[in-house]
Amino acid sequence: MDLDFTAAERDFRAEVRAWLAANVPRNLPSMNTPAGFQAHREWEARLADARLSVVSWPEEYGGRGASLVEWLIFEEEYWAAGAPGRVSQNGIFLLAPTLFAYGTEEQKAGFLPRMARAEDVWAQAWSEPEAGSDLAALTSRAVRTDGGWLLHGHKTWSSRAAHASHGFGLFRTSGEGRHRGLTYFLFPLRDVEVRPIAQLDGEPGFAELRFDGVFVPDSGVLGAPGEGWRIAMATTSSERGLTLRSPGRFLATADRLVELAAGADPALADRAARCWLDAEAYRLQTYAVARRIASGRDLGPAASLGKVFWSELDLRMHTLALELLGERAAATPWFDGFLFALAGPIYAGTNEIQRTIIAERVLGLPR
Amino acid sequence: MNFAFTDDQLALAATVRDLLAAQGPGLLAERRGPAWARLAELGFFGLLVPAEHDGLGLRLADVVLALEETGRACLPGPVVETAVAAPFLLGGPELGKLATGALCVTLVQPGSGLAVDADVADLVVAWPRAAGRDAVRLTPHPGTDPGRRMFEASFDGEAVLLPGSAVPALRRATVATAAQLVGVARWLLDTSVAYAKVRTQFGRPIGAFQAVKHMLADVAVAVEFAAPLVYRAALAVDCSEATADRDVSGAKAAAGEAAVLAARTALQVHGAVGYTHELDLRHWLARAWSLAAAYGGTAEHRARVREAVAGVPRWP
Repeated sequence: MDLDFTAAERDFRAEVRAWLAANVPRNLPSMNTPAGFQAHREWEARLADARLSVVSWPEEYGGRGASLVEWLIFEEEYWAAGAPGRVSQNGIFLLAPTLFAYGTEEQKAGFLPRMARAEDVWAQAWSEPEAGSDLAALTSRAVRTDGGWLLHGHKTWSSRAAHASHGFGLFRTSGEGRHRGLTYFLFPLRDVEVRPIAQLDGEPGFAELRFDGVFVPDSGVLGAPGEGWRIAMATTSSERGLTLRSPGRFLATADRLVELAAGADPALADRAARCWLDAEAYRLQTYAVARRIASGRDLGPAASLGKVFWSELDLRMHTLALELLGERAAATPWFDGFLFALAGPIYAGTNEIQRTIIAERVLGLPR
Repeated sequence: MNFAFTDDQLALAATVRDLLAAQGPGLLAERRGPAWARLAELGFFGLLVPAEHDGLGLRLADVVLALEETGRACLPGPVVETAVAAPFLLGGPELGKLATGALCVTLVQPGSGLAVDADVADLVVAWPRAAGRDAVRLTPHPGTDPGRRMFEASFDGEAVLLPGSAVPALRRATVATAAQLVGVARWLLDTSVAYAKVRTQFGRPIGAFQAVKHMLADVAVAVEFAAPLVYRAALAVDCSEATADRDVSGAKAAAGEAAVLAARTALQVHGAVGYTHELDLRHWLARAWSLAAAYGGTAEHRARVREAVAGVPRWP
């Protein structure tokens, strides 16, 4: 057991740190405004030019074949540098692992390089008005037609969809039951009716999507028809696990929180120290998980442990920052961060669902 | 980067676990009895003793999982003091005796001034003095844990002065205590889950109720994220990292908190019978509380982390 980085890993960290120090833009507008969305896409293109947008992908798709540990190093440096949020994250972190696992060569070649440069920005289309935590209750459907499918139905809480170009999600292709007969579709949003929905910060970070016979060719089906649930679970496992919220983001927040709490009442500073320690714990646990994955073992339901931990840590950190800042908090990035952190225990499977998964599938308690 | 235990480290832990499990429930009441003798035969008390003094010369990171197992088993006696602290306090001939298990050592706690299980120890250390038990006047002091009896120790007779520094021993003893707390927490979680599967109310196992599930899930989360801090602290102490004191305090605070949460939850899941002497659960509850207070409590260590992190860049 060790925590020693290799020479190659240290070199990689140094390269990333130097490039970010020279290139990170300051104060981009919100990615949920038209101008901010465009600015964030341009930032992604610059990252891609430096082959830093998707370091863990194979070179042919725009990555550099980095190991999981190198990806974690990239993330630590990225967030420590104060770099912008990733407008393409739903594509590069959630869809891409599924595309690598289940996509055809044509799909990978067609979608991944454009995704890596944010030429296409992908939005997820999972939730429906009556299917949130209970995703398998979804009723949107796809009907067979010549050369493809016609999508019908109503999706909602679709992040980035107000400005995104593409979507991915599940539709019913037969009436076999909750988890069967679902198919995973990839589709452009141009023929979909998109209604932006303002989030707590007032910006249209969500949208609802209405499908009224939107045509998707057979090449827009990911995996086999009817296999959608199994494939989607692979995506949500990566979302809950490493790829959605790596430790780097929380390490950077915790470091800033400790600075903010310096000189504060010891009771408040102790809470900051505890957050700092928890961020460190998440980082160390992730290095252990990375080792498990590298030796061929699946993350599985244990991903839920991490999701509960980081989402509640993030909220505790921002709540404490607001206490420290008082009435002046709203003028600082901490307030936007607080609103963002409030969503953490809700998205990617609420923390109530996660705790139930931990109890049943990690601890083995009865359903 | 390979933050995972080696096969040897895992095998040592499994050996200790099996050995202690084979002792049965009688282990809980013994002071320095058959389980100690079996561990001594295994070389457990010489794991950290240098090879030139007949020990195995291992490092703390090599044995931290094995120490966790002594917590899981709720092994009584001054385990941490003898197996972990003493090799870094004593010299020469005593080290050879330690390695064979012939010498049982306790340590007067710097904070409380109390020594654990001094009545079964051969040697009592109140840094920088050390004396045989017969040369020390022991007064029993009320404790929370029947498996860790506390004593006031007055050095009346002859004592020797130990050379060097107590810091290497105290750092390691603190990490070892944190490892035991993780082991205690794991046992409490496993036992509570097992009970929740078989205890039936309203026609269902209580573990099927979401309120019970979510309490136990919270314990699983706390243990999952305390343990790596303990393992990292062991590495930091072994390598005398500049951050070692901070990492030790972080480990102790997180492990203490996880174990106390596990104890609180275990009691709630067991209900009234957990609140009695009808079950052995009380031994692990007491161990969680007593170890959480040993070598500095959670608040004290968190304050040290607070002081250590202000203005210091994060590794690496």
